[in-house]
Amino acid sequence: MTLKHIGWLLLGLAGAVAWGVLALHRGETISAAWVVLAAVGTYLIAYRFYSRFLAERVLGVNDRRATPAERLTNGRDFVPTSRWVLFGHHFAAIAGAGPLVGPVLAAQFGYLPGTIWLVFGVVLGGAVQDFIILFGSMRRDGKSLGQMAKEETGPVTGLLAMVAVLAIMVILLAVLALVVVNALKDSPWGVFTILCTLPIAILMGFWMKIWRPGRTLEASLAGVLLLLLALVGGRHVAESATLAPYFTYSGLTIAYGMIGYGFIASVLPVWMLLCPRDYLSTFMKIGTILLLALGILLVLPPLKLPAVTPFIDGTGPVFAGKLFPFAFITIACGAISGFHALVASGTTPKMLMRESDARLIGYGGMLMESFVAVMALCAAALLDPGIYFAINAPLATLGGNVHSAAEVIRGWGFVVTPEQIDGLAASVGEQSLLGRTGGAPSLAVGMAHIFSSAFGQGLMALWYHFAIMFEALFILTTVDTGTRVGRFMLQELAGQIWRPLGRTSWYPSTVLASALVVGGWGYFLVQGVLDPLGGINSLWPLFGISNQLLASVALCVGTTLIIKSGKARYAWVTLLPLAWLLAATLTAGWQKVFAGDPRLGFLAHATQTAAQVASGALDASRGARLIFNDRLDAVVTMAFMVVTVLVLVASAREWVLILTRRKPAKAEESPFVETAYAG
Amino acid sequence: MQGSGEAGRPGSRAVNSVQRIGSLLRCIAGMPDYAAHLEHLRRYHPNRAIPTEREYYEEFVRSRYEDGPTRCC
Repeated sequence: MTLKHIGWLLLGLAGAVAWGVLALHRGETISAAWVVLAAVGTYLIAYRFYSRFLAERVLGVNDRRATPAERLTNGRDFVPTSRWVLFGHHFAAIAGAGPLVGPVLAAQFGYLPGTIWLVFGVVLGGAVQDFIILFGSMRRDGKSLGQMAKEETGPVTGLLAMVAVLAIMVILLAVLALVVVNALKDSPWGVFTILCTLPIAILMGFWMKIWRPGRTLEASLAGVLLLLLALVGGRHVAESATLAPYFTYSGLTIAYGMIGYGFIASVLPVWMLLCPRDYLSTFMKIGTILLLALGILLVLPPLKLPAVTPFIDGTGPVFAGKLFPFAFITIACGAISGFHALVASGTTPKMLMRESDARLIGYGGMLMESFVAVMALCAAALLDPGIYFAINAPLATLGGNVHSAAEVIRGWGFVVTPEQIDGLAASVGEQSLLGRTGGAPSLAVGMAHIFSSAFGQGLMALWYHFAIMFEALFILTTVDTGTRVGRFMLQELAGQIWRPLGRTSWYPSTVLASALVVGGWGYFLVQGVLDPLGGINSLWPLFGISNQLLASVALCVGTTLIIKSGKARYAWVTLLPLAWLLAATLTAGWQKVFAGDPRLGFLAHATQTAAQVASGALDASRGARLIFNDRLDAVVTMAFMVVTVLVLVASAREWVLILTRRKPAKAEESPFVETAYAG
Repeated sequence: MQGSGEAGRPGSRAVNSVQRIGSLLRCIAGMPDYAAHLEHLRRYHPNRAIPTEREYYEEFVRSRYEDGPTRCC
């Protein structure tokens, strides 16, 4: 045994000890250090051994084979890029609000279930998916997931995958927008800062295109500085009796504002608003994530949330449903995220310099995202449980004021006083933190705790709003880039029906498609804002289910790629996570539609609402709208499930045909060309 | 953190490392790299017309956001 082996052995032992401590710990608090150690130890072992097995045995990575970046180099999208730079590029593309919000919501089950799923889900599922799709796309000149599905399993599957992606986009944008609404409602400080990002972005847009063409970095630096000024300025706005009312809006007003913004951003030229905001949010994102990591590692805060809460029985206030299956769909990004399959088959495969780099970037990049999610979980778990539930339970459940909230939360077995809730809100410069469901505010409180203990006390409010601003900023960037991508997809689909609709440069088509996409997510957003249960309760599971079902589609495609390359004996690497994901997600989908508990099942809730209308407890028109929305959510959930099962059946048919030798095992890869790079 | 048009000129070590950090940041954020594009044209298409920095910027930005999702949730 060499020295190197001893190092890996020790690392494995350290990780195992950390897991043991986490599992056996009984007591008030536990240091976040154990969570970090267990996670990082597992990641490193999995990267060293499992991803190497995937690269060498399953995929057959070959560094003598020229990558698309080398063969098709064009100095624009096909650019050979050194691996650590590309790692940064890819990570910036995959990390978003998902890994921050999901784990915070799932903290209602305690910190342990989320941690276990994040760490083992990623090493066996999410990172495998990202790596294999990235590799498959690289072997096919950077083809998208939809194109690969079409070529490997047939045109119907390709079309289904495309429709599924568009539908997921709509749900995703709605739920992320709802997170922002819940963070910004009645918060003049937050609204002011976010509104300032618009003129700042437009200024940057003109800077980069007209005044100093191409000087993107200097414009971004100026943008970041202006944004920080706006953040500081927000405090004065919030404290001023004359200015604050101009920036205080209800959730509904903010929702309509975001819908209007999404439409405008989709039809304006990209250089003016969308692209500069993208740059701004990317730098803020990278900076803040580094800051969060630094803060957590410096402070190693004690986690006050129990390892497991009583709410694993499905009675939790944040969202309904038992630990299985709901922990596994609430946390999508960070463990496994189908959306990554779109990014991993987008810009990144066109930039890989060597085939072996796909391992670091695909597998390693996803491990990094999982680590971000683990940190978000720690930031939520360091809060007093009472505070966590005061922020995340719906306002209606909490009874509307701090006294009733403290009473309700005491009933759940967690101690919190009205003074504590008020004191916390005041210390972060808000009127109230009650019922701000959605993850962003509790994460911001957690981050503010960490930052102010790591980098100096007394700036709690500033840190809180910094965290809110950063989350809202990049969620809004997802909203505008997502709307635009959705618009292009819709135009592509519509072009198959009537050709002129497919022309992205034809203005009426652009306006129509933008309006449809914005109208789609806007409808779900408004539904969520008006939902008496808080919206997150119905929309986040819908998003989780759709994202995990997309991951199932990606794993089906991945399995097909493996079997077609003649490696059927290794197909378990994708079939195993696929089986788990389908079990969890189809169960969750079924329960969301058919469960008898009106908090959980859409149809049961519709029945309950109808009864309330009949007994006169609820206004008839409002009741009719709620019932319609419940049925719509049920139909959408069923549609996702049906599409996934169809893709699974089509793929399985293909697998059987190949395995029974009725069809040759031949992957549609680009032909081999020897690389010109020196070994 | 600027000077994307002047890469390749032999300069002091400090200038070089500033340029290296600059192109790293540009790549991470998905920004165009004009200097690298000029280098590409010089090497592979010596006869092709050289776009101005503004033309290259417009073309790059337009095509980047038409090509599927660039950002995840």
